[in-house]
Amino acid sequence: MSPLVLVLIFVSLVAFVAGQLLLKHGMESTVTGGFRQRTFLVFILTGTAAMAVSYFLNLGLLQRLDLSYLYPFQGLSVLFIAGAAALLLHEKLTLPLIAGSVLITAGVVLVSIS
Amino acid sequence: MANRLSGFRNPWLQIGVSTVAVAISELFLKTGADATISLSPEWSWTGLTTLASPLVWLGIIFTIVSFITWLYAIKHLPLSVAFPASQAIHILVPLSSWLVLGEQISALRWCGIALVLCGLALVARPVAELEEKL
Repeated sequence: MSPLVLVLIFVSLVAFVAGQLLLKHGMESTVTGGFRQRTFLVFILTGTAAMAVSYFLNLGLLQRLDLSYLYPFQGLSVLFIAGAAALLLHEKLTLPLIAGSVLITAGVVLVSIS
Repeated sequence: MANRLSGFRNPWLQIGVSTVAVAISELFLKTGADATISLSPEWSWTGLTTLASPLVWLGIIFTIVSFITWLYAIKHLPLSVAFPASQAIHILVPLSSWLVLGEQISALRWCGIALVLCGLALVARPVAELEEKL
């Protein structure tokens, strides 16, 4: 596996995590404010753009790697997203949630290195 | 949550639909990406050359379905619960790669899939607590 492939996987991952946080924030704003407001539009558009970058990088990687090999890398995003959601969106992390996320990540990494 | 979300608006159902749609889209995308691999070597790293395949467009449609259902799910659920729950995808994708695409799954990879299952079972506990509050 070349360094470029690793960099592309990493960039795709970061764009994915950022996209999820932006989308979550945007959708949450609709609970009180509805869909016709600036916060929703700005966050959904930037979130969708970040997801699109991640999506097409992923497609390019699919041409080089087995699907069952590449896909699990996104599993690392479980830990990133849980951490970022707690830090930035102030969600509550319980012990089973953290332990479960760690197990999922470990399983996903095992799948990808095998 | 003022009103209980039931039927098709249940966020857990939306996560399920979203996850299955991702698995289907991945199968289309992989098949389409394979079919377009020799089109333009200098542009293939962007992934955009895969758009020449109709299968990739089918994959994109399923991605959009999963995207919209996912948006509705995270509107009501904390991301730190919804996202780990959506990781059932890491069982669905290898299994469907094996069954449909004929990719090999090694013993170690089966172990990884089992670990993901254990993690999902653990995450299901906070999910149950959350369900009581919904």
